[in-house]
Amino acid sequence: MSELLSLAAGVAARAESGEDVEAFAIHSVSNSVSVFEQEIEKLSSSETRGLGVRVVRAGRLGFASTSDLSAEGLAFALGEARSNAELATQDVGNVLPAPSPVTELPGIYIAGLDGVPMARKVELALALERSTTGRDARVRGVDNAAYGDQLTRAAIASSRGVSAEYERTDAYAWVSALARDGEETQTGLGLTQGRAFDELDIEAAAVEAVKRSTRLLGARKAATAKVPVVFDPLVTASFLGVLASPLTAEAVQKGRSLFADKVGRHVAASSLSLVDDGRLLAGPAAAPFDDEGVPTRRTEMISGGVLNGFLHNTQTAARAEGDQQSTGNASRAGYKSSPGISPSNLFFDGETTPAVAIVASIDDGLYVQDVSGIHSGANPVSGEFSVGATGMWIRGGELAEPVREVTVSSTIVDILTAITLLGDDRRFFPFGGALAGATMLIAEMTVGGA
Amino acid sequence: MLDEADVRDVLDAALGTGGEWAEVYAERRDATSISIDDHRIEELTSGRDQGAGVRVVKGQQAAYAYTNVLTRQSLLDAARAAAASLQGQQMVSVVDLTRVVAPITHAVLRTPSSVSKAEKVAAARAAEEAAWSVGSDVRQVAASYSDVVQRVFLANSLGHLSDETRTRTRLVCQVVAARDGIVQTGFEGPGGSLGAELLDLYPPATVGRAAAERAVRLLDSVPSPAGEMTVVLNAGGGGVLFHEACGHGLEADSIVKNTTVYSKRKGSQVGSTLVNGVDDATVVNAWGSFGFDDEGAPAQRTVLFDAGVQTGEMSDRISAARLGVPSSGNGRRQSYAHLPIPRMTNSYILPGESDPAAILADVKHGLYAEGLGGGEVNPATGDFVFGITEAYLIENGELTRRVRGANLIGNGPQALSLIDAVGSDFDSKEGMCGKDGQWVPVGLGTPTLRIAKLTVGGTE
Repeated sequence: MSELLSLAAGVAARAESGEDVEAFAIHSVSNSVSVFEQEIEKLSSSETRGLGVRVVRAGRLGFASTSDLSAEGLAFALGEARSNAELATQDVGNVLPAPSPVTELPGIYIAGLDGVPMARKVELALALERSTTGRDARVRGVDNAAYGDQLTRAAIASSRGVSAEYERTDAYAWVSALARDGEETQTGLGLTQGRAFDELDIEAAAVEAVKRSTRLLGARKAATAKVPVVFDPLVTASFLGVLASPLTAEAVQKGRSLFADKVGRHVAASSLSLVDDGRLLAGPAAAPFDDEGVPTRRTEMISGGVLNGFLHNTQTAARAEGDQQSTGNASRAGYKSSPGISPSNLFFDGETTPAVAIVASIDDGLYVQDVSGIHSGANPVSGEFSVGATGMWIRGGELAEPVREVTVSSTIVDILTAITLLGDDRRFFPFGGALAGATMLIAEMTVGGA
Repeated sequence: MLDEADVRDVLDAALGTGGEWAEVYAERRDATSISIDDHRIEELTSGRDQGAGVRVVKGQQAAYAYTNVLTRQSLLDAARAAAASLQGQQMVSVVDLTRVVAPITHAVLRTPSSVSKAEKVAAARAAEEAAWSVGSDVRQVAASYSDVVQRVFLANSLGHLSDETRTRTRLVCQVVAARDGIVQTGFEGPGGSLGAELLDLYPPATVGRAAAERAVRLLDSVPSPAGEMTVVLNAGGGGVLFHEACGHGLEADSIVKNTTVYSKRKGSQVGSTLVNGVDDATVVNAWGSFGFDDEGAPAQRTVLFDAGVQTGEMSDRISAARLGVPSSGNGRRQSYAHLPIPRMTNSYILPGESDPAAILADVKHGLYAEGLGGGEVNPATGDFVFGITEAYLIENGELTRRVRGANLIGNGPQALSLIDAVGSDFDSKEGMCGKDGQWVPVGLGTPTLRIAKLTVGGTE
């Protein structure tokens, strides 16, 4: 048993009769550096530890957290969680999960990250900037180039018998290229990620950033039209970000989901599935158990276009009708918060088509490379979807002139229903959760232009 | 919080590779948060968070390392990690640390630890119940109470040493009302740099009722007309506009990078001569106030506009050095896990001389806006769009119909130049401002303001 798990177990062991106690502890070591014009702009290293305690007594739940892990700090957190429970509302959802066997997921940890000197990490960011600016005369610089990594250790123990822990490593690098032509500036993102320093491919990230920035130069507004629209993998990932909240049972139970009354009904194209898989090694969020110790698993929320159900933690499962179980999607923003629900690794699944063949299949349509205003433009309650877009027009199966300042609009369900081709180029993006995007074709959307 | 001799050694280690100056920021935060949603206590949490960060600065470069293990060894490790970003020889040594006293204190009458949790829960409950009692049009009520006691310790190699305790308390009530397919929301969220005496200044039932009455009131409204017209903003209502469309453009990091419409306008007449704007961290007990900023600079009042002339900017140490001026005391950070950056504190347009009633009486046709909602500003051009939460038509000097769905569309510097009346009244609101992923409490305040013409975006 690690020091972190014994710390959590020590707190859980102090449960008194008539109460359940759970302690969740995190130890995190991270490094990041961003460079600009071959100088370090910002460099940050950190090591933090903390613990959150939940106490449940007679259906009342209290939470407290501390980063002071001395005996006094732990006693303070347990005492606070107890007194918070006394004042809380009684609810059928206030239960701690029973222990379930956890299967390890050794691939999420690759040793050696802490052995890479900071100087090499800085050099990687500098090399990424040089590689990006040295490829194309139109790329005049970068907004910045950055490297980051994190080692996370999580441990959980409860008086119900939960006792589990894992270690995970993550490393990533990204660059935002600035392509210029006269007064016009376009930006393009390049990204690489992995579990270890040596897995990063900065050449690929540089090539991607250069391609994405330069191909937008000369962008004009487009005319308003109803046409087939192809989403870039990054845009598909952003679209999945919109689905993340309304597909949680929390949103459904609070009346804040457009999917609330649609279980058993067709909500997407019949070839399409929507999957959350907490055990998928390629996904950044892979872990053997969720943030309340429930084993992670693969959940198909949508199969063959039909909505099966929602993502649950123990609380929403207990509140739901029937014998609903947690899907292993309890999620915390670190040790300072009690568990909510979020997807782990979220992606579309189904028969795939080579990504190039998707563009080649369109005679007249829009390829969307980036979207803006997705938080205000996509409403997870009403289902309305209208966002700003930049990209390229598709003519005769080829990417043609770039376009900017257009809007693409539809409704969330209409988009899901109109996804007719899914690309074979699925990849994960670490921004805003672990969302995997692939190129995909939406049969028709309204493109609003000048 | 930390031993002074240890801090000196940590600063010394941080300077070992050629940094110009170094800093230790340590913090301990005790927080309570209670939120009630749909009649249920959704969250009742307490947190204690402590940690420290060591920063090494050379020119515009900053290296930062932080830990929440507050031992001598962890702090020395952090200092060496930050220092590792530079590869030079030690250039300067640590100046003897001298304890500095803050120029202003924000007295707390009822510290959070002296108030029972039951009383805090009761406050949120009282706001919630008062909101529900407003009537059957009220469909959702969320109420919350939160307090935080933040102890900040700061020392730097230039000899500064200070210790400050900041206490903040806030009560928030959000209401959704609906009738015949129309849905409207109401919000009240008073807060301050004080303790539970906030609940005496703003009785929870009054706060809850006000939020619900606003939401219900808005159900009886007609869609807003669109077009160019005179706009009067009530006292406090223009605060968001001043913060978003002017304040952010006057933060020195943007000025240094030349990315805002205000970058090159210092010394010129930007607003009308009636406009006097300040950023003031010394307002006693205000939400955005403090004794020292998060780099140890004393709380200050910075004049941003003097009779319409752009006179100042809000800086932290790094951006101030680049501009060749002393820091204005606006270096702020969300926590020990963040680097300080230039931020607003309490940004106000100061009261003028006009009678608020007379300001309205002179308007033949216009819009009276009571509070702005969310908005977007293009920093490079100053163009803005804001939603209005509550508005009325002004016809021949009288408020007539209540309207909904109105937007204000304009340009920051231009709107300031078109202010043709400033009231003798004043009100302020509290908010959380986000920038570069960091959230800090800010105050927003204005008197009644009249803007001669502004585009109102409406649906009719």
